[in-house]
Amino acid sequence: MGDLLDKGSAWLESQRTLHMTRDVTYARGILTAVVKATIGRTEYETDDGQVVRTEFTDRDFLISVADLILNGIATLPEEGDQIRETQGTSLLIFEVMGWRYSDPYRRTFRLETKHVGTESV
Amino acid sequence: MSVMTDVADAIVAELNAVTLSQPVAAVRSYLPQYKLTEMQTLHVTVVPKGIVLANPDRSRSQADYSFDVAVQKKFSTGSNEELDVLTDLVQDIVSFFRNKRLDSFPNAVWMKTELPLLYAPDHMDQLRQFTSVLTLTYRVIQ
Repeated sequence: MGDLLDKGSAWLESQRTLHMTRDVTYARGILTAVVKATIGRTEYETDDGQVVRTEFTDRDFLISVADLILNGIATLPEEGDQIRETQGTSLLIFEVMGWRYSDPYRRTFRLETKHVGTESV
Repeated sequence: MSVMTDVADAIVAELNAVTLSQPVAAVRSYLPQYKLTEMQTLHVTVVPKGIVLANPDRSRSQADYSFDVAVQKKFSTGSNEELDVLTDLVQDIVSFFRNKRLDSFPNAVWMKTELPLLYAPDHMDQLRQFTSVLTLTYRVIQ
């Protein structure tokens, strides 16, 4: 009969990719790939542990494991990778600070990023 | 102006005048707060911290003024080579102020420099940012 939950998860993932995503550019150095991403949690925060404080915006991106192909090779995310998202005339640059799988069947990455720059497009 | 701010400004002036392993543009601030998006460039901030008063003899008072000096920069790869440059700068600042009389406030005598932690691990881990805070103490006897 197979694993119904596994099949259901695969169907949900396909629906997420079809209906809840936007195109972003995933970049590692000069290697880039356009992937479909769902915008997750976005929060504005300030760390308070130091003499000098840093304000930042957290944003999570959900992307399909199958989509993350750099230079023709399926890859895992790495800290320091960037996600570039176009909003109007701005290119928002987010840096990957960490990642995990967001489902038990390892079909989707949840990338934990911080906004590190904005450029004009 | 208070002695506290005068000495802080003198420290800023020294940092901006001296040639270190890389150029710095130090500023004085009470509550330094930067956006992560600004941290691609080097930030050096002098923050007045505190005063300890004592009487060295019957007629004079002694005040030890402490100042935090923060060196911050967001890194890209986090490689040893990239972070070593920032560590070198911190070491330069530590060495520069050792026994240093401040040109614009020569009555202040360097007492000590403290750097109990070279960098903030949480900033390194969560922001991919190098943050190093050293504390300078200058004594003024009046």
